[in-house]
Amino acid sequence: MTILEAAQALRARRVSSAELTETVLARIHTLNPKLNAFITVLEESARAQAKTADQELAAGKDRGLLHGVPVAVKDVFETRGVRTTCGSVIFMHHVPKRDAAVVEHLASAGAVLVGKTGMHELAYGITSNNPHFGTIRNPWDPERIPGGSSGGSGVAVASGMVFMGMGSDTGGSIRIPAAFCGIVGLKPTSGRVSRYGVMPLDFSLDHMGPLTNSVRDAGATLQAIAGHDPRDETSSKAPVGHYVPEPGCSIRNLRIGLPQNFYLERLDPDVDVAVRRMAATAESLGARIIPVRVPDIAALNAVGRVILLAEASALMGKYTDNRDQFGSDVLALLDQGRFIAATDYVNAQRLRRMMQREFSQLWSQVDCLFTPTTPMAAPRIGEKTAALGDFTEDVRLATTRLVRGINVLGLPAISLPCGFDRRGLPVGLQIVGRPFDEALILQAAAALEDATDYHKQAPKDVK
Amino acid sequence: MKNWKKIAQSSDIKIPETEIERLAPSLDGLEAAFRPLVNTIPDDVEPAVTFRIEPEAGE
Repeated sequence: MTILEAAQALRARRVSSAELTETVLARIHTLNPKLNAFITVLEESARAQAKTADQELAAGKDRGLLHGVPVAVKDVFETRGVRTTCGSVIFMHHVPKRDAAVVEHLASAGAVLVGKTGMHELAYGITSNNPHFGTIRNPWDPERIPGGSSGGSGVAVASGMVFMGMGSDTGGSIRIPAAFCGIVGLKPTSGRVSRYGVMPLDFSLDHMGPLTNSVRDAGATLQAIAGHDPRDETSSKAPVGHYVPEPGCSIRNLRIGLPQNFYLERLDPDVDVAVRRMAATAESLGARIIPVRVPDIAALNAVGRVILLAEASALMGKYTDNRDQFGSDVLALLDQGRFIAATDYVNAQRLRRMMQREFSQLWSQVDCLFTPTTPMAAPRIGEKTAALGDFTEDVRLATTRLVRGINVLGLPAISLPCGFDRRGLPVGLQIVGRPFDEALILQAAAALEDATDYHKQAPKDVK
Repeated sequence: MKNWKKIAQSSDIKIPETEIERLAPSLDGLEAAFRPLVNTIPDDVEPAVTFRIEPEAGE
């Protein structure tokens, strides 16, 4: 069931929020020991929130599509009075005195918060193989990673433990688990959603957004959490749009750019087929597929790595003397960041400005870009390298190769299911849009979702 | 390639030498990708970092 279906059922009194909440709590009890999606489950407060939602809806007070719907947030979002660990032993006992802006918005929208999801340590990695809170497992194959860093939210949504899981995305951490778990992940434009109360990995690349079972559910969530927040210096005053695509929305005459360089290179052949098939589907719906050449994305990725390494190490520097507190992969990244010279950091931010200008010229030719989200489906837990045709590539670098640059540019992007590989593992399509044009990429994604049934497939024995 | 151990010594970066050896390939790769880009930046391009001062801050 999607958020929109639940919203209809709640208003038709076919189900109550209390019943939905009991159903998901039972599912968490059954599945979480196997998949490890949650760090904290909030049974008591969730039941109380559900009861309030039912009372409000019965009294005619309607807070919108999320009202009474069970959701979860990654354990990077601060929750007043509820432990927020960031997946780290450093914050094992951190109990915030405030709610993150996103948590405030979800509460105002009447959502029922059932728990805090697991994640890669400090949101600094893509496996969600957490040395302190355990390995998070992919519901499509528990021997494979769910992606990260928002792996717990991806697993919780894909396995029906919640209707929406909030994630954060610094170099693909919403879109990667969405692709690996066969669900939708939306990274809004930089500044669209407040970062207030989110434990940061980085100062200039972090974005907040939802993971959901459908495109319209992602739109409904963005509708609830978007908007200016003076408590976040990077928060934008750009007007909030209408983010829930209408039924039967059209993409006729939409100009879709299909990159002829970089994005369709070094892919698992099954990913290549799935993405091109989705482009053909868009064409059959009346969109125009326009071959384009994109600026140097490999250079953009190098710039992104310099910025992230420097900012994350600056942020965590006060903790790194106690090296036992970190997993080896995170410590290696924090160590690398200490070697980034100040001049290189400044020049990376100058290159970012240059590349942003260069990339913006694309928008005179096309309305959005289609790319794979990741070059391959979910790797096995512990796998260090991925074989991609004739190439072998480090799993972390391969997994972030097609998504990291979009964070550097601050552009909105959505990942939606676009097929399966030969092993039956889900594959994601990334749609990238102009700044603050979330409505357009949501509409394009919804039209494709309406025309296909990839999003209706579920992991065996889980849904 | 840069000598990361010497850089660590001169910059007082306290990381065990064996760890630096493990990091070196990744740092070398990034250096190779990033260094050539720096010379392409026109002089008038400013960094994209955020710092704002509002009028009321001076009141």
